[in-house]
Amino acid sequence: MKALLLSLIFIAQSGSVTLSQSEEARAQALMREIRCVACENEPISQSASDIAENMRVRVRTMVAQGASDQQVRDWFAGRYGEFVLFRPKAQGPMDYLLWIGPFALLLAGAVLGFGILRQREAPVAEIESVAPEDLADSS
Amino acid sequence: MIEIGHFAAILAFALSIAQGIQGLRGQQSAAATLALAAFAAMALAFGTLIYAFIRSDFSVALVANHSHTLKPFLYKIAGTWGNHEGSMALWCLVTLGFGAVASLSLKTNRPVFEARALGVQGWVGAGSLAYLLFASSPFLRIDDPPLQGASLNPLLQDPALALHPPLLYLGYVGYSFVFALAAAALIDGRVDRAWAKTVRGWSMAAFAPLTVGILLGSIWAYYELGWGGWWFWDPVENASLMPWLIGAALMHSLIVTEKRGSFAVWSVLLAVLAFCFSILGAFLVRSGILTSVHAFAVDPTRGFVLLNGLLLFGGAALALFAVRAHKIKGGPAWTAISREGALMGNNLVFAVVTATVLLGTLFPLIAEGFGRQMSVGEPYFRLTFVPIMCLAMVALPVVQAWSWGKMQVDALWKWVVAFVGICIAFALLGVGVFDIPLFAGLGVGLGFWLVGGSILELKRRAIVWPRVFSLPARVWGMTLAHVGLGLFTIGAVVETSARYETTLDLALGEQAEIAGWTVEFDAINTVEGPNWYADRATLSVRRLSGAPITLEPDKRYYPAARMPTTETAIHKGVVGDLYLALGDRRVIDGQVRWTFRAYYNPLIDLVFLGVMVMAIGGVLAVVKRPARQKAGVKSADAVAAE
Repeated sequence: MKALLLSLIFIAQSGSVTLSQSEEARAQALMREIRCVACENEPISQSASDIAENMRVRVRTMVAQGASDQQVRDWFAGRYGEFVLFRPKAQGPMDYLLWIGPFALLLAGAVLGFGILRQREAPVAEIESVAPEDLADSS
Repeated sequence: MIEIGHFAAILAFALSIAQGIQGLRGQQSAAATLALAAFAAMALAFGTLIYAFIRSDFSVALVANHSHTLKPFLYKIAGTWGNHEGSMALWCLVTLGFGAVASLSLKTNRPVFEARALGVQGWVGAGSLAYLLFASSPFLRIDDPPLQGASLNPLLQDPALALHPPLLYLGYVGYSFVFALAAAALIDGRVDRAWAKTVRGWSMAAFAPLTVGILLGSIWAYYELGWGGWWFWDPVENASLMPWLIGAALMHSLIVTEKRGSFAVWSVLLAVLAFCFSILGAFLVRSGILTSVHAFAVDPTRGFVLLNGLLLFGGAALALFAVRAHKIKGGPAWTAISREGALMGNNLVFAVVTATVLLGTLFPLIAEGFGRQMSVGEPYFRLTFVPIMCLAMVALPVVQAWSWGKMQVDALWKWVVAFVGICIAFALLGVGVFDIPLFAGLGVGLGFWLVGGSILELKRRAIVWPRVFSLPARVWGMTLAHVGLGLFTIGAVVETSARYETTLDLALGEQAEIAGWTVEFDAINTVEGPNWYADRATLSVRRLSGAPITLEPDKRYYPAARMPTTETAIHKGVVGDLYLALGDRRVIDGQVRWTFRAYYNPLIDLVFLGVMVMAIGGVLAVVKRPARQKAGVKSADAVAAE
């Protein structure tokens, strides 16, 4: 791993790397989800600071070397801390709250909504069906 | 002069308290008169502030800190609200303005209800004014006035941004009167169809400016910040998105309450929440507890005061809600497969996505409490907010034709076939022809599904095409709002998935290639404006063998504010923008090079156009049908119903 890192640093210093079109798209997507450490709430894709430029070179280099998206993210999180990931990890129970919370809420809301409905439900035959149009401007 | 303004603001404060007391006592005419008087006093106070900015009266602390004699006239005026104290003064002015307009135009034939609504509005106004006068007064003088002002944040010297705060505040504060109507209804314990009809008008008076305000902020960020993007899921943007989402939910819920009397409790709750989220938004922005690129003038103690205000007003309303909710009557029974069921699904989705935005925005703060430094950004919202929102968008064309009460759905398979067909077609087209990811192709398909579905619904209601123009305005409003959402979806998906961005390091005379365009760096000059000077690069760009177009991005420097800004150069093509921002001068291997941020943003205009169409649709949806219709002529609506 250390050898890989050293080689990365070497390549990063030696200037730009050329990527194929799909690799470039992948690198750009990654740059949009890694936070610049010197700026306020900006991904490295948007920042003009020097460190962001270095971080962009690092992303391109790693992509060129065949690193997966997750490997790139992990590398940055290891180097600069979890703070640089705009896509938060899903590891601890707290992260599950963040990632699963919205979907759990949707499910709970649906169960609750239709549950209340079931409780109140009148026999279907007694419910009147009213076309939306004739009420559209009854006022 | 400013002392007159200060006095007028104190007077407005006293009048608002009187309005609050008289209103809650049920004295309609007294409360209405007081509301007008309070607004007049506040207008005078705000007028003296604008006057001080026009005169560049640097003995006023606010003017000295935020203006400059060299600033263009209109930006001197806009400077009044381009800072914390001034923007709070604007907030107060708009709050009292809504009270004044309501005192003139609220016609419900229920004077006690109207009085109570004005009373609640009076207390909201008094609370805002207390905050203005005691925690962030713009009326203070300084003993030793400077000869020159410290200028306005130059980023804010922009027409879109001069209008952005007033519109956003019209939206935020507009929900204060929706809140007042909800509180008054809770005091009465009566929420009926007439109430919903009244609230719909007022909630639109907040929703439309809020939409346009957010839109202007987004357009400004696009061309001014030099990032080539239009939405960043930044905490401050999220703060304005949350009231918007609740407002959208409220509008749909109110339709059910107005037409059927159902969802009354839920509508009242949303009406209360819309204003709570507006204050929460102000709190998040003003307190600075969340780092953001947009927030200007932040102060933790002020945030604390705002938080207390939120707890006071929100808590009181929710307590009232808890006590009175059981008294509110529901409408006739309905099954899940019905218009009510569809709109319940709509509201569930809006509520959940609002909660998602709240969770994502506050989560880093909560994590920090547990000693963890983390960020939640665009990828999170793309994986949670977007798919949940998609559920509603997939369902919309199908369920918008459903009847109230119950619905016999017989040809559902046709919809399924149509939807699957569109998905497959666009997925193949996207991946094969346009070379965008699979999900992007599906997203574009979803956009077309919405646009097509909305237009088909218009046709269904009119029966024959020529009749569509005699459909009532609210049907058109609904259609436009949904078409706008579809256009926005197409633009947003294409822009985010096929956007191309790169950094160029160019020496004079050099060429580079981006997204099929050739960019040549011709010249770099120094230019001077009224209160700035700039490096201006001249580049000629051309596509294939087309004629070259000159683009001139600036990198400006405002000496009075000691602040650089980027002025991007944008070429509007047929399908997208070529976007250039000038960066720094670097010396690389002994050669002088300039950095450029270059973007190609396909279909970006569709993003903005879609939102604008949504806002127009929203306004149309509350337009009343003109009363002059002849009795003998049947409307297309009535025909359709037969």
